[in-house]
Amino acid sequence: MILLDKKFPNIFKDKKNIYTKSLDKKTYFEERTKREGKNVYREWDPKRSKLAAGLIKGISQIGFKEGSIVLYLGASHGYTVSFVSDIIGKNGFIFAIDIAPQVTRDLVRLAEERNNIAPILANCNHPEEYKDTVSKSDIVYQDIAQKNQVQIFLKNCDAYLNSGGFGLLALKARSMDVTKKPKDLFKQVMKELEEKISVVDYRVLDPYEKDHALFIVKKK
Amino acid sequence: MVDFEKLRKKSIELAKKTIRESISEDNFIINSINNIDELTKVANVLTKRLRDWYSLYLPEFSKKISDNEAFVKLIVSRKRKELMQEMNIKESMGTELSAKDLKPIMEIALRINSLYKLKENLKEYLEQVMNSYCKNLSTITGALLGAKLLEQAGSLKKLAMMPSSTVQLLGAEKALFRHLKTGARPPKHGTILQHPLVSSAKKTNRGRYSRVLADKITIAVKTDYFKGKFIGDKLKTELEERLK
Repeated sequence: MILLDKKFPNIFKDKKNIYTKSLDKKTYFEERTKREGKNVYREWDPKRSKLAAGLIKGISQIGFKEGSIVLYLGASHGYTVSFVSDIIGKNGFIFAIDIAPQVTRDLVRLAEERNNIAPILANCNHPEEYKDTVSKSDIVYQDIAQKNQVQIFLKNCDAYLNSGGFGLLALKARSMDVTKKPKDLFKQVMKELEEKISVVDYRVLDPYEKDHALFIVKKK
Repeated sequence: MVDFEKLRKKSIELAKKTIRESISEDNFIINSINNIDELTKVANVLTKRLRDWYSLYLPEFSKKISDNEAFVKLIVSRKRKELMQEMNIKESMGTELSAKDLKPIMEIALRINSLYKLKENLKEYLEQVMNSYCKNLSTITGALLGAKLLEQAGSLKKLAMMPSSTVQLLGAEKALFRHLKTGARPPKHGTILQHPLVSSAKKTNRGRYSRVLADKITIAVKTDYFKGKFIGDKLKTELEERLK
């Protein structure tokens, strides 16, 4: 087991898969684990997590550090959240937001076990809705399949991202416009983002997710 | 500095409370309609197998009754001789089965029959909930179709916010996106086709009928959501008159 890259803390790889070092040595989503000495490593499936897919596709920066404060929009059951929680460690903190009550039930269960996750049931379209429960963050990660996902992302970056902080946007082209080609859409989104914020890098997530891309931006 | 531990405990509490409060009639309706659909599927598959098995015993009977529910009910309630007499079967290609061989067949038939009964009970319950929650909608469409539309929209609120053209095409998403992507012919109706007024219409009229029906449904749902008066019967007579 070796580090994937010096830039990314707590992310490891072997010949096939990538792993994170588990904080509490438990599993939450029936993922496979590996033991090495005292440490437990949890296998991170790129087909279930767009962040993992981006890492395997060789993204140059993700911004996560030990102790980062993360605003996570579109947390769903919390699969990616649990791995982000491994990466940022005990001193970091995640505000995990989702709109659907059904999936948030799983998220609450995860948050009860992990000390660095706060589940929030709210609509990301209205960032002012959760201003009492969310602090300024170092990183905003968004994975929402909505038509106006770029606008939601920019709104939230405006409201909660520290200057110099990173934003990660997992974009689903098909939910923005089915009639356009994903490639053209990515270019268009790039332009839209560049107007307000600087884009560091982006990766198309084929073959792990069809017609998806992961954008990394940095706030000035 | 923010006290994260306190914040976390508070937000867990808050999330639990919001989840508790978010449970409404929508969830009951959606769950019961999903279960009714699933029960229909399961009962049909099992009855197909039962027909196969029972055909060893009395193959002519299976041919004569095509309705699954009636088939199972008759098998359970009557004996072979009675069935032969009732159906006017003089000679059968099936063999007499011993009590030991007949027992598993009858047992399965009993179970399937109870599945059908369960489905009926669920339907009754669904009708009750629909009548108290969205009476206008269920008067126009009937409880089952109304519940299905509600399930596809996600909740009564979402259905009430939809334009009538979206309601018309609920359940025809695949065809709609095929049309948008490739320019194939657009769909005229989705789930709405199950309504007797549309499904009994001539093929050339179906598009028009489903458009009119979707109009009335949107009016009814909006009245339901904003707790208006009961106008279902008025809308229904209007609808029937227009589609005469």
